[in-house]
Amino acid sequence: MSIYLLQTINGIGIGMLYFLLAVGLSIVFGLLRFVNFAHGTFYLLGAYFCYQMAQWGMSFWLSLVVVPLAVGAVGWVTEKLILRHVYSKPHEFHILITVGFALVIQEVVIMIWGPLGDSVAVPETLNGVVMWGSFIYPKYRLFVIGFTAVLAVIIWWVLEGTRLGSVVRAGSESTEMVSLLGMNVFGIFSLVFALGVGLAALAGVLAAPIRGVSPFMGVEALGVAFVVVVVGGLGSFSGALVGGLLIGIVQSLMSTIWPPGASLMIYVAMAAVLLLRPNGLLGRQV
Amino acid sequence: MISSKNFQFLTAAVIVVAMPLFMKSGSLASEVLIYALAAMACNLLLGYTGLLSFGQGVFFGLGSYTLGIVLTRLPISMPLALLGAVVVGGIGAAIVGWVAIRQRGTYFVMLTLAFAQMFYFLAYSLPDLTGGDNGLMDIPRKSISVAGQTLIPLETPWQFYGFVAVLFLIVYWMLRTVCDSIFGRTLLAVRDNEERAAAVGYNLRLLKLQAFVISGAVTGLAGALHALMTGIAPLSNAEYHTSEMILVMTVIGGTGNLLASLLGAAFYVLLGDWLSTLWPRWLLILGVVLMIVSLGMQGGLWGLCQKLAQLARGSRQARQDDDKSGAQGTGANGTNGTNGGHA
Repeated sequence: MSIYLLQTINGIGIGMLYFLLAVGLSIVFGLLRFVNFAHGTFYLLGAYFCYQMAQWGMSFWLSLVVVPLAVGAVGWVTEKLILRHVYSKPHEFHILITVGFALVIQEVVIMIWGPLGDSVAVPETLNGVVMWGSFIYPKYRLFVIGFTAVLAVIIWWVLEGTRLGSVVRAGSESTEMVSLLGMNVFGIFSLVFALGVGLAALAGVLAAPIRGVSPFMGVEALGVAFVVVVVGGLGSFSGALVGGLLIGIVQSLMSTIWPPGASLMIYVAMAAVLLLRPNGLLGRQV
Repeated sequence: MISSKNFQFLTAAVIVVAMPLFMKSGSLASEVLIYALAAMACNLLLGYTGLLSFGQGVFFGLGSYTLGIVLTRLPISMPLALLGAVVVGGIGAAIVGWVAIRQRGTYFVMLTLAFAQMFYFLAYSLPDLTGGDNGLMDIPRKSISVAGQTLIPLETPWQFYGFVAVLFLIVYWMLRTVCDSIFGRTLLAVRDNEERAAAVGYNLRLLKLQAFVISGAVTGLAGALHALMTGIAPLSNAEYHTSEMILVMTVIGGTGNLLASLLGAAFYVLLGDWLSTLWPRWLLILGVVLMIVSLGMQGGLWGLCQKLAQLARGSRQARQDDDKSGAQGTGANGTNGTNGGHA
């Protein structure tokens, strides 16, 4: 089987994780123009909670459900306790307070789990490879692609087909208008924030068996999430999907062609997209 | 009466001279001034132009690598290597700025951070040039001499401190002059109300780019001095953490005043030095401080000092002096009208 085909499929898997990571960041920004520099931290928490549950001998499937809910709850509380006090302030303070928060959580993670990373075992049922003729591929990675594809459809349906989704979309067009119509924008925002954070945590859980856990994975994830939303266009669901897949595939292919530069190339791809389309592939004027 | 500008310069000079009297480590004192240079450069962007840059680590790293590469491979003297670091830092800032300044607000911030990551992975991917993970080692720190005669000895940490201190005061004076010039006033106008400044006819992109280049050049110098001090140009000088650290010093010190950045850098470096031996996870405290500053104490430490001074004086005059921009204290500058954004 061609190595490039294999890497493209790998790239789709990683790209879907990037999509999960970025979509919450993008929607939260769309709704309240709030940029969450602690977004990578919730991905970090997702991965570490999954790691901890594995240490306790609990099944991966349980953490797939419990961890996003738990981290979503952490996000919900954070929003209620801290973030809502800075909405009215200039956006520098949004950034600084989330940077401070990210720093605190990162140090707490090191305090609890230590400064060195560790690996997480692939769940037993998904260990091994699938073989169809000459096509050989790890089961777990196929599962990630399938699972995230289903999730993407669900997220799309929530945004396009439900009342919550229509409020979120309207809110990202004009927050003032939605609140004038009598919607509790801030209540909805807490919910959307918790959802976005939960999705980032889910990406962390899914990534843990592939990439392991380390206290500094949050920073890298934040950089990647930014690249994805900048490439795709801020505040756009389809932008996050297209951006995530593009970045995932670029990184994956490059890791065959020039392994040390694989991470570099996703930023080069970003710079190229920006020079051609400053608002991202599917972005509106911001 | 002495002008506010001169008063602040004198204060900086007094701090620089006094540091050897109550600090036991020359390296630590040098580190304070080196990071103060970087924080002042960051402040020029954040406090004076309203640009929050997460990419300062790029220029700091560029400065370190430039000095390291030049001194370990080329027969070029140290002062020229420093100058090279300044130039490369400025050029790097021109490139990053040229792309990032096309965007505003949050988008701009995200771009600067993406560039910081890009530079980190670039440095990581080119081990032949940068030493990759290990960084550049064994950077020599020779005394500056002419015709065999030592002019400026740099052997001991305190000798090196003297060298850094002189450079610091020169750069401080230059930045002070830039901020007080018409150019600097125009930057304040851009910060306070971008639409208005554009409507008046200023070329916003050019102004921001110029501020970016100055900031990059000064940060490059700081990075080079750091490499000279430690004798290595490590990959960590280009990491996200460096960008974050420079920004945190600037914000905790207080924006819109250069002296505040010296305060912020001293706070960060000295607190870090003291706490990291007691408790390795001291960054947690820093995160909390950053959150407190963003929540309520928006003038940072400098704002706190001003408030205390105001309490001590308790006069109405003081309240006028403490007008939002806080930078000049004279309250006489015309761009202060909207009090927008930054405390």
